[in-house]
Amino acid sequence: MDRSLQHVFDAEEVMAYLDGELEPQRAAMLASHLEHCAECQSVARELRTVSGRMLNFEIEPMPARVTAVVVAELRAPKKPEPARALGFRQRVWAKWHELATNRKVWGFAAAFAVVAMAIAIGSLPTLFRAHEANQRVSELSAPAPQRQTRTGASYKSWVHKDEAELQQSQQALMSENMVSTAAAQPAAEPAPPPAPPQSGDTLQSAESVGPMIVQTASLSIVAKNYDEASEAIGKLARARGGYVEKLDAKAQTGSARELSIALRVPAKQLDGFLEDLRQLGHVEQESQSNEEVSAEYVDLQARLRSAQATERRLIELLATRTGRLVDVLDVERELARVRGEIESMQGQSNLLQHRVSYATVQVELSEVYHERLQLGVSTGTKLRNAFVEGVHNLEDGVVGALVFVLDEGPAILFWLAVLGLPVWLIWRRRRARADAKG
Amino acid sequence: MNTDEQLVLAFQGGSREAFEELFERYREPVYRFFRRRLDHPGRAEELAQECFLALLQNVARYEPRASFRSYLYGIAMNLVFAERRKAGREISENEKLDEREDRGSGQATDAGILVREALGQLQHDEREILMLREYEQLSYDEIGALLRVPVNTVRSRLVRARLAMKEQLVAIKDGD
Repeated sequence: MDRSLQHVFDAEEVMAYLDGELEPQRAAMLASHLEHCAECQSVARELRTVSGRMLNFEIEPMPARVTAVVVAELRAPKKPEPARALGFRQRVWAKWHELATNRKVWGFAAAFAVVAMAIAIGSLPTLFRAHEANQRVSELSAPAPQRQTRTGASYKSWVHKDEAELQQSQQALMSENMVSTAAAQPAAEPAPPPAPPQSGDTLQSAESVGPMIVQTASLSIVAKNYDEASEAIGKLARARGGYVEKLDAKAQTGSARELSIALRVPAKQLDGFLEDLRQLGHVEQESQSNEEVSAEYVDLQARLRSAQATERRLIELLATRTGRLVDVLDVERELARVRGEIESMQGQSNLLQHRVSYATVQVELSEVYHERLQLGVSTGTKLRNAFVEGVHNLEDGVVGALVFVLDEGPAILFWLAVLGLPVWLIWRRRRARADAKG
Repeated sequence: MNTDEQLVLAFQGGSREAFEELFERYREPVYRFFRRRLDHPGRAEELAQECFLALLQNVARYEPRASFRSYLYGIAMNLVFAERRKAGREISENEKLDEREDRGSGQATDAGILVREALGQLQHDEREILMLREYEQLSYDEIGALLRVPVNTVRSRLVRARLAMKEQLVAIKDGD
C-alpha cells in the first residue's frame, strides 16, 4: 500500500475515482492508467472488496410503529388559526359581534333577566324580615348607658328580661329564616336517608375521590345460632348492596360445622356491615387492612390515555391513508396490538376500581362445638362395635398362634431333640445311680 | 421523479404527499443510520421517530442551500451525538461488542458481526466518515458539510479508514 501512495496516482485518488468524486480530467487520466497498472488495479480491487464486505452489516426493516406515528403526526390537523392573524382587540370585537347578532344569546339573556327579577321579588319580604329582626337585636344589645343608671334587683331583672327577649328574638329570627329558605328551595336539602348506595355511584366516586384504598377485613365468629347466622350473613351483605363472592361450608360428622364465606360490600358500608356481623355471635378474631393503590391507578390511567391517543391516531391514519397495501397492513396490525393493550388495561382499571369500591370481608363462622361431640354414636353401636372388634381380635390371636406353631414348630422340635436328648440321658443316668445307691 | 429538494419545497407549499414521499424514501435509511450506531434496537427506533418528527417540525425553515440529505442526516447526527453524550460513552467500544451481539439485530449474520467488530476497532472520526460514505452514501461534500471538515480532510480520512478497515477485517478473521 505504501508503494501505491508514492505512485503517480495515490490510493486516495483511486478511491475518489471509484466513488465518482474525482474531477473529470483527472478521472479520465486515471481510467486509462488503471487499464495497464496492476498496482492501481489491486488498490481498486481492495477498496471495492472493503465496500462490498461492509454491506454485510445488514439491518432489519424499520418497525411499523414509527411509520404510524410519523404519518399520524403528518395527518394531524395543524392549520394556523385565522383568528391568530387578527389583533387582540379585533378578535374581542369579532366575538362580541358574533354574540350580539345571535338570537339564541338574546333569548337566553331575556330568560335569565326574568328569572333573576322573579327571585329578587320573591326574596324581598324575607330580606325585610331579616332586616327588622337584626334591628331588634341591635336595639336590645345597644343601650348600655341606660342600664348603668338602674340599681339593685330592678337592674338585674331588667337585664334578665333583656337577655330573655334577646334570645327569644334571635330564635324567632333563626326559625323565620329557616322557614323562608326551606320554602324558597323545597328540594335543596332533603334529609339524607341512610339508603345503601347503588353500585354505579360507588364506582364513580372511587374514580373521582382522592386516595384509592382497597379495604379488607376478616372475622372469625362463633355463632350463637349457627343456622340463623349462616343464612343472615348473605342477607346482611345484600341489604348493604354487597354480594357473596365465595362460600365454602363444612359439616363433617363428629365435628362442628364451619362456614367460610367471602363477601364484597360497598366500601362505604364496610363499618356498618362489620357491626352487623358482630351481632351474630362471639367474635374470636377480627382484622382489617387498608392498601393504598392510588399510584397504581393513576399510572394505569395515564398509560391507558396514551394508548387511546395512539389508537385514535392510527384510526385516523387508516381512514385517510391511501398508500401501499403493506403500510395499511402494518398499521392495522399495530392497531390490533394497541387495542389489545387498551382492553387489558381497561380490564385492570375496572378491577382496581371494583376492589376499591367493594371491600372484601372474609367471615369464618363456626358453631359451638361440645353439644354435638357425642352425637351419632349410641351405646348400642359402641357395644356392637366392641363385640365385633373382640371377635376380630380373637380371630387374629388364634390365627397368629397357628401361624407361629406352623412357622416355628419344626425348628423348635429339632432344637429340643438336639439339646434336650443329652440332658435327658444325663438326668436318667444320675437317677439310675441314685436308685442303685438307694 | 422529483428530487428531494423539490419535494421539500412542495411540502412547504402545503403538499402532504410530498412529505410522505420523502418519508418513504428515507425511513429505512434513517432507521439503519440509527440502528448501526446505537446499541439498543428500541432506542434506534425511538430516535428514528424523533428524527422524522423533528424534520416535520423544522422542515418549513429548510433552505435549499445544502442538500436535503445532509440536512436530514444532520438532524440524525445531532440526535446520535446527544444520545452518546447522554450515555456518557461511545457506542462502539470494544468491551461492548459481546453485549451487542447478544442484543444483536434480528438479522446479524457472521459476516455482519465481523464488520461490526471491525468498525469498532477504527478511530472515531474515521469510522464516522466511512459509515456515512458506505451506508448513507453521502458525497464527500455532504460529509464535509455534516461533520464541518474540509473536503480534503474527508478524502484523506476516508482512504485511511478504508485501508484500516481492510486490515481489521483480515485481522479479525485471522483472530477467529
